[in-house]
Amino acid sequence: MGSDLDRQIQTLLQCKIITEAEVKELCLKAREILVEESNVQRVDAPVTVCGDIHGQFHDLKKLFEVGGECPKTNYLFMGDFVDRGHHSVETFLLLLALKVRYPDRITLIRGNHESRQITKVYGFYDECFQKFGSANVWRYCCEIFDYLSLSAIIDDRIFCVHGGLSPSINTLDQIRTIDRMQEVPHNGAMCDLLWSDPDPDSCQGWGLSPRGAGFLFGESVAKPFLHNNGLELIARAHQLVMEGYKLMFDDTVVTVWSAPNYCYRCGNVAAILEIDSQLNKSYTIFRDSERNSLNSRMTPQREGPPDYFL
Amino acid sequence: MNSEEYLQHREGLTTSHHDWSMIQVGKLVEGQTVVKVIDPNSYKGLTLVLPLPTCHSDANSSVEDACEVLLKHGISSAPVYDAQRNTYTGMFDYSDMMSYILLSLKKMDVPAEDQTIGMRELIERTNNSQNVPVKMISVAVMDPTGNLIGILSQSFVLDYLANHLSEFPQLQPVMQQSVEQLGLSGSKVLSVNGEAQVLDALLLMSKHSVTSLAVLDEQGVLLGNISMTDIQHIMKDLRSSWLWLSCFKFISNIRRKRGVETGEDQYPVMDVNLKSTFGYTIAKLQATKVHRLWVANDSGLVEGVVSLTDVFRVLSSLLDS
Repeated sequence: MGSDLDRQIQTLLQCKIITEAEVKELCLKAREILVEESNVQRVDAPVTVCGDIHGQFHDLKKLFEVGGECPKTNYLFMGDFVDRGHHSVETFLLLLALKVRYPDRITLIRGNHESRQITKVYGFYDECFQKFGSANVWRYCCEIFDYLSLSAIIDDRIFCVHGGLSPSINTLDQIRTIDRMQEVPHNGAMCDLLWSDPDPDSCQGWGLSPRGAGFLFGESVAKPFLHNNGLELIARAHQLVMEGYKLMFDDTVVTVWSAPNYCYRCGNVAAILEIDSQLNKSYTIFRDSERNSLNSRMTPQREGPPDYFL
Repeated sequence: MNSEEYLQHREGLTTSHHDWSMIQVGKLVEGQTVVKVIDPNSYKGLTLVLPLPTCHSDANSSVEDACEVLLKHGISSAPVYDAQRNTYTGMFDYSDMMSYILLSLKKMDVPAEDQTIGMRELIERTNNSQNVPVKMISVAVMDPTGNLIGILSQSFVLDYLANHLSEFPQLQPVMQQSVEQLGLSGSKVLSVNGEAQVLDALLLMSKHSVTSLAVLDEQGVLLGNISMTDIQHIMKDLRSSWLWLSCFKFISNIRRKRGVETGEDQYPVMDVNLKSTFGYTIAKLQATKVHRLWVANDSGLVEGVVSLTDVFRVLSSLLDS
């Protein structure tokens, strides 16, 4: 199996798909590893923290060039691997294969797009159907999504979650009590962690989110949470940032976005957050891969889900 | 209220409002600029008066031009002004225009190759001499000399109320009641299957005079919402081919587009639970800026709907008691 896995990784690195049977087996192996992980998965520095990828495979490869190859560099991906981009399948399967091959060198936590309901609307379902001819691969992946951890903590000081905070959660221990192995609920703590946004303009603590799930939280909520849990930073993703990353609330909350030129048209840069063994933080910016920009200029039609936005 | 009741209901001199029903409407429409678009052809000398936030020059325009202006500014209805009689005769509602186009489309046999024609052409083709019915969904606000100073929409009023709720303690009891208790669930909800065509959904809306339908899967679970305002998206980009897509695909496209434009994706289903409070429902309507929230039970099956109109119906019933 070891050489099989290495071969599959090489295939995926060329942006080619593996067979449905191989996907099924890969998912079974991944499940055994993920089921052991905590809702607040412990990660040791040094580690490079990344935000949304959204199926932009060639930009993920660019990310690895910029940040260093896995497993030489330790990685933590904060969810939203799929939907919107043209290569959600290759992107997620590559990350999953790397996780199975180097379980202690790469951590994957769940984003709001790692959900059956969301992937049916935002493209992953369609892409799976188109590339494999049935919904089976989508189903295997959705089952794996259920096993993904909800958050991570780096050296007990840096808390990483896809969306943000929840009015139902004051301590990290409360997150640990959540039964996470299910479809993302429509409301409640697990939903909030994956859907909430910080609101720099907020003068109240909590507000309902314009997204229709999760909450908006202000500085008056974030700072006590950090203090009560002995944290120095909350790193999260979930929102497009034109400059790649955005610090707020006196640099205690940062949004990291790792999909450059989002949807092949937004013109934004992407970022990764590199944390060294002393917990020093540095942000590296990168632009979209030339391969992507070439594609969007030349071909109006290509493989993948239909692009209404072209 | 007759004038005697009105006099008794005066709030008197005050710098802060305590009676929510006494807020002056003029205050709510401050900041709107009213501009006229002249449309002599289809409306026989009538003009459409549009509340626009920026300056816009008068145009001698056709129905197609008028539609484009409406779309561009995201306006779904406009008062119709009769210059000859110097009076407002009613509201031109966008969905009325769509109904008229759709009925004509359905009667026509549109071949597949023509399904991609631009909306301009579509309107031209269906431009028979047909009366477009008018109905009220907004209220024109006039100054004492009869000039139109703004349009009061339900969203406007809701926004104001939601922001100032703490100033009106007499509203607290109703805010604590559940959607179920207020009778906002249990009625039949008009819906369409996710696989039905958009054209059929629009015709269904038109037939039942509703502006929105719940989109359901085979089991009756709520997938989303299709409404007349979504038609703006078709017409804005002049893509009539979307009329023949499945409803689920269509609403997914709208969600995807919006997510890229705002940089944040929304939850596909905008709903509240039977047990959600009225106050929570109002807050969610304001936060998400939708015109209605479906009422779902714990299994995700739809049991009712709370629209802005329903909110105001509940509030105005308080006035009567």
